[in-house]
Amino acid sequence: MDYLLDVQDIHTFIGQYHILQGVDVRVPKGSITALLGRNGAGKTTTLKSILGLTPPRQGRVIFEDRAIQGMHSFDIASLGIGFVPEHRAIFRDLSVEENLKIAERKKDDYVRKRDFIFSLFPDLKRLISLSGTNLSGGQQQMLAIARALVADNRLLLIDEPSEGLAPVLIEQLMKAILQLSAESTVVLVEQNFLVASQLAEYYVIIEEGRSVKEGKMKDLINDKDTIHRYLGAA
Amino acid sequence: MNVFIRKNLLRLIILIVLAGLFVAAAAGMESQDFLITLLRGLSVGSLTFLVASGFSLIFGLLDVLNLAHGTLFMIGAYIGWTVYVRSDTFMDLLTPLALILSGFLLRDVWSLLSTRLPAAGRMKRILPWAGILVSGLILFSVLRNYPIAIWDVGDYAQSPVSISYLASQGQNVQPPPATFETISPLMAFAGLIAGSLLLAFSLSLFGAGKQAEASRITWRSFTGFAAFLLAGIIFFIFNNLFTAFLAGLNTNWLFLIAVLVAVGSGAGLGALMETTLIRPLYIRPIYQLMLTLGLSAIGIEMVRAVWGRPEFTMPRPELFAGTGEGCPATSLAGWWQYHCSTMMLMDGRIRVFNEIFIPIIGVVVLVAVWILLQRSRLGMIIRAGVQDREMVEALGINVRRVFTQVFALGVGLAALGGVLAAPSIGLSNMMGESFLLNALIALAIGGLTSYPGAALGSLLVGLLQQFIIKYGQIGIAIPFTEIVFKPSPPIVPASIILLMVVVLLILPNGLLGKKE
Repeated sequence: MDYLLDVQDIHTFIGQYHILQGVDVRVPKGSITALLGRNGAGKTTTLKSILGLTPPRQGRVIFEDRAIQGMHSFDIASLGIGFVPEHRAIFRDLSVEENLKIAERKKDDYVRKRDFIFSLFPDLKRLISLSGTNLSGGQQQMLAIARALVADNRLLLIDEPSEGLAPVLIEQLMKAILQLSAESTVVLVEQNFLVASQLAEYYVIIEEGRSVKEGKMKDLINDKDTIHRYLGAA
Repeated sequence: MNVFIRKNLLRLIILIVLAGLFVAAAAGMESQDFLITLLRGLSVGSLTFLVASGFSLIFGLLDVLNLAHGTLFMIGAYIGWTVYVRSDTFMDLLTPLALILSGFLLRDVWSLLSTRLPAAGRMKRILPWAGILVSGLILFSVLRNYPIAIWDVGDYAQSPVSISYLASQGQNVQPPPATFETISPLMAFAGLIAGSLLLAFSLSLFGAGKQAEASRITWRSFTGFAAFLLAGIIFFIFNNLFTAFLAGLNTNWLFLIAVLVAVGSGAGLGALMETTLIRPLYIRPIYQLMLTLGLSAIGIEMVRAVWGRPEFTMPRPELFAGTGEGCPATSLAGWWQYHCSTMMLMDGRIRVFNEIFIPIIGVVVLVAVWILLQRSRLGMIIRAGVQDREMVEALGINVRRVFTQVFALGVGLAALGGVLAAPSIGLSNMMGESFLLNALIALAIGGLTSYPGAALGSLLVGLLQQFIIKYGQIGIAIPFTEIVFKPSPPIVPASIILLMVVVLLILPNGLLGKKE
């Protein structure tokens, strides 16, 4: 199969703690892959290791047939990887428009992608001149995803998009993620199994810093044993 | 609106109290005293702001407390003085400087070479140091014999003090140009270029290992190197011509050149410092503090060795250098007509350079940097990076390059402050330390990483000091008693610390600072 991203047995330390102890993630092109697992299992660290924010000490990360581990984060991101972090990390001192413009990698990226972004998130259009501080949680999440769409990213790493959002907003967000996955491949970290199971085509389960199981989401849904064992009650 | 007031109640109360104190202080003195004190406060505040704003930009984005900032302020002043008073020395220095720096512009070549180098363990560790040692020896032996027409700190008649004094009397006599005696120019050039290439290569070996991709070598890789080489040669050939041109130039233009050179060298020094010394220490904040503190001490000693310990002044440019006492000018138009150093304003005599020119520059810089921060892409990245550096990096923005640019900008601002301070308060080895202290207090008052906070804090520090000084002369009549209280000089520095303590007790993040 043709993999866009291939993470091979990475080990990551944060300070003296051995957080990832052998994680493998294979992401087929054009799919949504969900990283599942309990709190503190190492899902967020896996995303950050891919991006080089917490560089892995061992193992390889292959993106589009190219080893990217050990490169600077900004070089990795420039290859075409967008990141939507767990707590959105909206820049408070920047307006909504500036939050989008700062993600430009080529001149006028924002102008070119504007219509696509506003078709996904119509709300953002009327908030455009507001400062980042004045957004609600849902608006911040939409802005964070929109920011990752401004540059031409072929891979999006989205961390906990549904966290702390009202059910109505989650639904809206899921629709947007499905829509944008037509254009780029998505790796999703999601605590809410219901959301993950409806979005993702593939899954990888991470348990105590190791990837323990992977496969197709539709097989997992009927595998009550695995769900109970690794994800707790679902 | 109500929410805004409720959220910022303490802040507003403090600002109202400060405004009230200001009005009370103004009411207590004659109007011409008030005007002079106000302008002097603005002047000191502007210089403080030039140090504080750069310091706060660097701290906000890079998390580096650059304790060498005051020293760089001072170095800016000394460089400006050199260009302004001894343009022959300045021209003589340009050639070797251009040649030494040229090697560092071949970065692509070095990064390619370092990947091709055999990765034998011990060799790889020894090689850079050996290279630095050899290149250091080459450069040292060449520079020792390189002819530079320079002052002599040991000989009073030839020291910067005497030269400055003569220059201020309009007798700026430059000694005959130095000539090659012990070595031939060709040897010197070859030595400088070889030393530069070896030094740049050795230094690049330290950073090897974390190369993103082997850079390709095109003709572009050589343009910077060739340009510097060419510049060095041109400066060498036309040295006398340039020197004569600078010596004959109107002092106003010369001052402008001195300011530009000082700011440029400050920015270059900042960029060099960030890329070579600070960069390896981003993960070790304590070491950084020690490093910048050490650099500050080294800088002061180097200035002492080159320019000497005694204080001296830089003559003011012609526009501000006319007669002081008895100048009939009563407005800026009048000043323009007579080119006096002072003028009458509301029955008080004020010095145009110190009390009008410096505050104007301060405001211009304030606005220019504000526009840079608000309108440019660099400013956008700085504002975002102050809050969340990691996320900026995750967007694919080369944060290291932005770090270097911000460091250069910050140090450039400090150097601008230094060269502006030189004609007004004079040059001394310790001028940087006092301004750094003032700037740190101003930042604590205004908010460490807030740009408007740096401006407000500097303004308060400048005004408070000057008002206390003025009241030390005229005294404060304490109501309902016969006592006239005259603040003694030690109260001047104490007063701003007291203000800082009061502000920090009420607002731990400073007046305009944000919660961490």
